[in-house]
Order: sequence, then structure tokens, then C-alpha cells
Amino acid sequence: MALRHTTDANTDLRASSVLDCQSLCYKFPNSKTIFADVSLHTRKDEFVAVVGPTGTGKSTLLRVIAHLIPPTSGRVLLDGVEVCRPSSRVSLVHQSIATFPWMTALENVKLVLSGSRMAEEEAARLSEKMLSLVGLGGAESLYPKEMSGGMRQRVAIARALAASPEVLLLDEPFVHLDELTANEIRKEVYDLVFNPETTLKSAVLVSHNLHEVVQLADRVYIMNGSPARITDVVKIDLPRPRDDHHPRFHDFVDVLYRGLDIRSIR
Amino acid sequence: MDLIAPLATLATLGRIFALIGLSIVTGWLLAYASIRNRRFEAAYIPLVNVFESIPVIGFLPLVLVAFVLALPPPFGVEFAVDFLVFDAVAWNIWIGTYQAFKTVPEHLVEVSDNYGFGFFKRMKELYIPHSIPRITSNIFSSFADAFFYISVSEVFTAGAATAKVCPGGTCATFGIGTLITEYLSTGNFLGVYYSLASIAVAVVAVTFALSRLSRWAVAKYGVDTPGAIRRYAGRWRGMVPSPWRAVRAQMRNVSRVAARPRQADLAGEGSRRTGALKYGAYAFVVLILAYLAYSAFRAATSVSASTWYGFLRETPKLLEYVGADYLRVTVIALASLGLAVFAGYFLATHRRTGDAVLPLVQVFAAFPAPAYFPLVFIVTLPFLEHALPFFYSEVYILVLGFLSCFYYVFFDFWIGVQAIPSEFDEVTRNHEIPFMTRMRRVVFPSTMPYLITGLSSTINSAWAGIAIGEFWPNIAPTVAPKGLQVPFGMMYYISSNMADGQIAAAAYVSVIFAVIVAVYGVAFTRNLMDLARRKYVIEEGIFAA
Repeated sequence: MALRHTTDANTDLRASSVLDCQSLCYKFPNSKTIFADVSLHTRKDEFVAVVGPTGTGKSTLLRVIAHLIPPTSGRVLLDGVEVCRPSSRVSLVHQSIATFPWMTALENVKLVLSGSRMAEEEAARLSEKMLSLVGLGGAESLYPKEMSGGMRQRVAIARALAASPEVLLLDEPFVHLDELTANEIRKEVYDLVFNPETTLKSAVLVSHNLHEVVQLADRVYIMNGSPARITDVVKIDLPRPRDDHHPRFHDFVDVLYRGLDIRSIR
Repeated sequence: MDLIAPLATLATLGRIFALIGLSIVTGWLLAYASIRNRRFEAAYIPLVNVFESIPVIGFLPLVLVAFVLALPPPFGVEFAVDFLVFDAVAWNIWIGTYQAFKTVPEHLVEVSDNYGFGFFKRMKELYIPHSIPRITSNIFSSFADAFFYISVSEVFTAGAATAKVCPGGTCATFGIGTLITEYLSTGNFLGVYYSLASIAVAVVAVTFALSRLSRWAVAKYGVDTPGAIRRYAGRWRGMVPSPWRAVRAQMRNVSRVAARPRQADLAGEGSRRTGALKYGAYAFVVLILAYLAYSAFRAATSVSASTWYGFLRETPKLLEYVGADYLRVTVIALASLGLAVFAGYFLATHRRTGDAVLPLVQVFAAFPAPAYFPLVFIVTLPFLEHALPFFYSEVYILVLGFLSCFYYVFFDFWIGVQAIPSEFDEVTRNHEIPFMTRMRRVVFPSTMPYLITGLSSTINSAWAGIAIGEFWPNIAPTVAPKGLQVPFGMMYYISSNMADGQIAAAAYVSVIFAVIVAVYGVAFTRNLMDLARRKYVIEEGIFAA
């Protein structure tokens, strides 16, 4: 069954954290507090998910973790060092699949290497390798409008991976894809997190799809309320690769569903 | 000082806003005709683009023949002035309305088709509301343009040609432009300051009102905009005079009957009604064009064959003049672009500074440069004349040109940067993409449609400053008896010939200019715009099925 523990109970876990978010709070200017006292962490080779009713600020939380929005209070540590500005070591994949329409798949990926002082050929080679990792070998010269939604999201993931991140933040990355494509990319993403050819150490997924969360996550943080807080943490210890016909799979889905306070939806 | 300056300002404002109102109503009809008929659209849009590019001065020969010399004195001059102000305000409102009508969401059009909306209901409930945000934002440019031209449009000189209808050959109508010109020619600087203060009050009040109106219009009529809609119903009710309320109540009763939902009109009655309106719009356009063509024909036939031959022989020289002016326009456009890109990007990405600085830029842009420029000229002339004895006039022209147009590309670029979806901004920040790469690979391509529109308007409007600056004989008679003049330029040629009553010569070079502008419109604006639409639509980069 699910193993539950509070976020600050296990200091040993904290010590081995890749990403350590401590008491994060975010308040929109001249508006109410969106979330408060949110602490979460990820360890090496761990896939963490955040679920919560709509409006609890999950997407905002990812942006705060990436320091695209500075927190109102609290701090984010990456390998024990405080994150004080956006860095590609913490790389975000958006919910709306964002690829530059005037760039080919290869150029879209290569763009994030422009600040790395990498030689042009090396950047091209690395970009090709990342595209190949996400199953887009041979599609390097296609423009986004010549690709399906699934292919575009693969480009966005390849772009995030090319930047050599340690943590991948995934903001409902499969929500605009059909179920078959989404399922296929979910498997690829999971394999990528634990692929030695990438620099990734862990990933944080935000999703409304509880089946998806149980399929991917090792640990799930549940957010509720207004301002939102972490109300529960669920460890999912199903064997991998996960099968949604496993007898405990739906138990976990039920646990997560019960953990969501849908009355707090704003 | 008496109330003459405020009254003159009010007269000018009244004229400008009445003509803005006329532009809006005609714009709705013409835009509707355009979206309903491809052939009309194919003629209408290039024609408006050409008209938009010709500076007010280019129309002077035409208005002289069509209005001043054709109609009795007070009406002829007033209509001529109104036409010139209309030229300054109408085109961008017409184009903005057309673009708004063209981009009404398809599913809303389908809803109105489905429920068989007639012309009036379709306009009232769909097209007009959808056009309001664009029109309100375009009113600002129209207002700024109209004010910029007041010193040229409210008072113009045509020498002997108009001596019979205007005292001393100078045609003028009551307004702040005329008043300032009069004060400057008599050296009454107190009057000039008083007039400038009066304009300043008007510009600040109008800019404030327009920005509020624009914000409200975007919040209420924009499709899925985040702004909150403010409701004024209670307040307006008290402000509407009671007799009008009674009439309006009657009209509502009538419109309730007319607006009753009905099933789709399978027999095509609606399309017959729409057809009648379409032909009404055609008739309106054809009537105006026919009158202008007739006037042009009269002007052409009133000139002897030998004079025409003389003009033809002068054509190479005139083309050199056009080239010189295009060089000036290029310098002004590049300076405006440079300012837009660096200051515009900074203000768009630093919100607080932007909130503080942008209203000031807006007020400055709307404040008519020709009204205060003579004072700048008087103060700086001794220094510039000494420092740049051969180029000081050129500097004044370039500055005047810059002041007349920099804000188009500035504001368009600023809006373009704001319109970049946040996801792309986050990608560039997340991956620490260097500033120059970000500008080159992301910001410029993303804002390309805005840059082309803004740059095109900037280039079109740069002619305004050049037109005034190349020949300004009475800019400051006290310090520069000859005024500000640069004899090597097309605008100088047009203005000086007009002042000498040589209408045919001015008209001839105006026609050459119109042809060049048309070619430029096709070669530059349309091709670049097509490229931008084909390749640089940032919204296409977001996939949200």
C-alpha cells in the first residue's frame, strides 16, 4: 500500500536531495497568496509528481522552482546550492507545446546551446542526438507546422534535454496529445529520466491525469486549499515498467483521488 | 489673453473628431463591402494603401481644384480643410476596421449565418463590436496625425491661383493651426505660448481619455482578454438627456421586432438586402472617386501641351528630388527603428518603467511638432548654423521627420514584444539564451508582422515631417526671414510651386510620387507582409489542441 510521510519528517532524504524546495510561498502582486509553505524534494533517479485541483498554482509552482518567477518567500536548492536565477540545469517543458515556427526541429533544439560556447558542429551533433533520443531521427529539417502535436512535443523535450538539465520540470506535457501518442511519449520520457546518455537526475511532473501520475511517479505531492499547501505525500512503489492492469494500480489512483479536495477548486 | 486659443483648439478638436466619426462610419461600410466582395477588396485595399502613403501636401493640388476653386469661398476652404484632415485620420481607421472585420472568428460568423442575422444585426452584434478595440487604438494615431498636420491643413497658400477666393492667396479656416501660424508670422510669441499651452491641455486630456477608452474597449470587446470589464450602465443612464432616452426607447421597441430571432433565410432575402447595401457602398466610393477624377481631369486639361512637355523634360530632375527624399526617409526610418528596438524592448520587458514612461511618450507623440518646432528652431538656429553651416537645414528636416513618425514603429514593436507568448519568453530565460541571439532568433522574428506594419506607417508618415520641413517660409520670420528651406527635394518642389500658384507643376510631381508610392507599397509592404504571414506568426508556434 501507499507509504505516507510528511514533507519535513525525513531529514536523511533531504540530505540526498537533487532538488530541495523549502517553504515556498507565492503571492501575485496586489492579489491573494496562491500557495504557501510548499516544501518538496527530489532524489537521484526519482520521478516526482504534483497533483491538485485546478487553480492551486501547480504550474506557477514549477515556474517558481525554475526561478522564472521568484518566490515571495522560501528557497530552492539544486544540489545544495540556492537557485537565484533561471538556469537550464532546471529545464521546463510547457503545457502548451512551444516550438519556434520559423526554425526547423534541429534549429529549435540547437537554440538552447547558443549560450554554451559549443562549436557549431558539436551543437548540431548533440541536437541530432537528442532528437534521435526522442524518436525524431530523420525529422531534423521539418518545421513545426509540418509536424503533428506529438512530434512537436518531442522537439520541445529534446530541446529541454539538449540543455543538459539535472532536473526536468514537466507542466502537463501530454494534455494536448491524443491518448495513444501521449502513452507512447510517457514511456519515452520515463526512459529518458533514467537514461545514462542524458544528464538528468530527476523530474517533476504536474498533471491532472491521475492514471498518468501513477504510471510515472515514484512520489506524489498533493496540493489543496486556498492558499494551496501540500496536504499529503503518496509514495508509489509499484514495480516498473508499470501496468495499469496491476491489481494495486487503481488503488493508488483512488488514494490520489480521495486526497484531492475538489471543494477547494477556485 | 482672451479665450481665442482655447476656442480655436476646441474648433480644431471638433473638426478632427467629427472627421474621425465620419471615418469610422464609412470604414464600417467599406470594410463590410470588402469582406463580402473579393473584387471590391482587391481594389479597395491597394487604393487605401496608396492614399495612406501620400502626405497631406500631396493632396493640396487636388483640393484646390476640387473644393477651393469649385465651391463658394467659406464652403470651398472649409471642405478643403476637412478633406485634408480626413486624409490624415481616415486611412488607418479604414485599414484597422477592415483588418478587424477580416479577423472576426469564423465560428462567430457561422453562428450569425446559422441564425440568419440580417445586415444590421450582423453589424451591431458581431462586426462593429469586434472592430471597436482596433478602432479605439487607431483613433490615437489618427488624432496624432491630424494634429501634426494642423499647420498645413488649416492654412495653406496657393499664391495667385487662389487670390480670388482667399485674401492674399492664403486660405485659412478657424482653428489652432491657423492661429499659431498667424502669431508666428507677426512675432507674437506670447500668443504662441498661450496656444501651445492650450494644445497641451487638449492633448493630455484626449490622450488620457483615449487610453481609458482603449483599455475598456479591449477588456469588453476583445476575444478572451484577461482584463476585467467595467460596467458603466448606471452612470451613463444619468448622463443621457431625457428626450434622447424617450427616442431611444422607441427605437428599442422597433429594434426588438427587427431583432427577433428568425430561422436562416433560405430564400436569400437577406443576401438581397446585403446586396443593396453593398451597391450603396460601391456608389459612395465611385461617387467620391469620380469627383476626384473629374477634378484631376479639369486640372490636367487646363494646362497647355507645351507646359506638359516642359514637365516631361523635367522628369529626370524630379526623380532625383524623389530619390533625395527617399534617402531622408530611410535615415529617419532607421533612426526610428533603432529607438524602437532598444527603448521599446526595454520598456516592454521592464513593466514598471514602461508604465511610467509610455504615457509620456504617448503625450509627446500626440503633441504636434509643427506647433512647437518654430520655438526649437529659434533657440537652436544660431548654434546649428554656426556648427553645421551647410547641413543645418537638413538636420532640422530629419528631426522634424523623426518627430512625425517614430512612434508608429515604436508602439508597434512594443505591442509585438508584449504579444510574444510567455512560453517563448520562458524558454529563452530558462536556457539563458544570450541577449543578441534572443533578439536575432526570437524577438525580431516574433515581432516581424508588427515591425513591418510599424515601419511601413513610419515610412509613410516620415513624409509629413519632410513635407513641412523642406519648405517652411514663415517658420520664424524674426530670426530667419527666408524660413526653413531645402531646395533639393520633391516636397520642396510641391510646396514651393503651390505657394507660387503653379498648381499643375505641383500636381505633376504628386502624380509621379503616387505611382512610386504604389510600387513601393507592392514591392516592400505587401511582399514583406506576405513573408511575415507565411513564416513569422509566433502564435503558430503554440500547439494547444
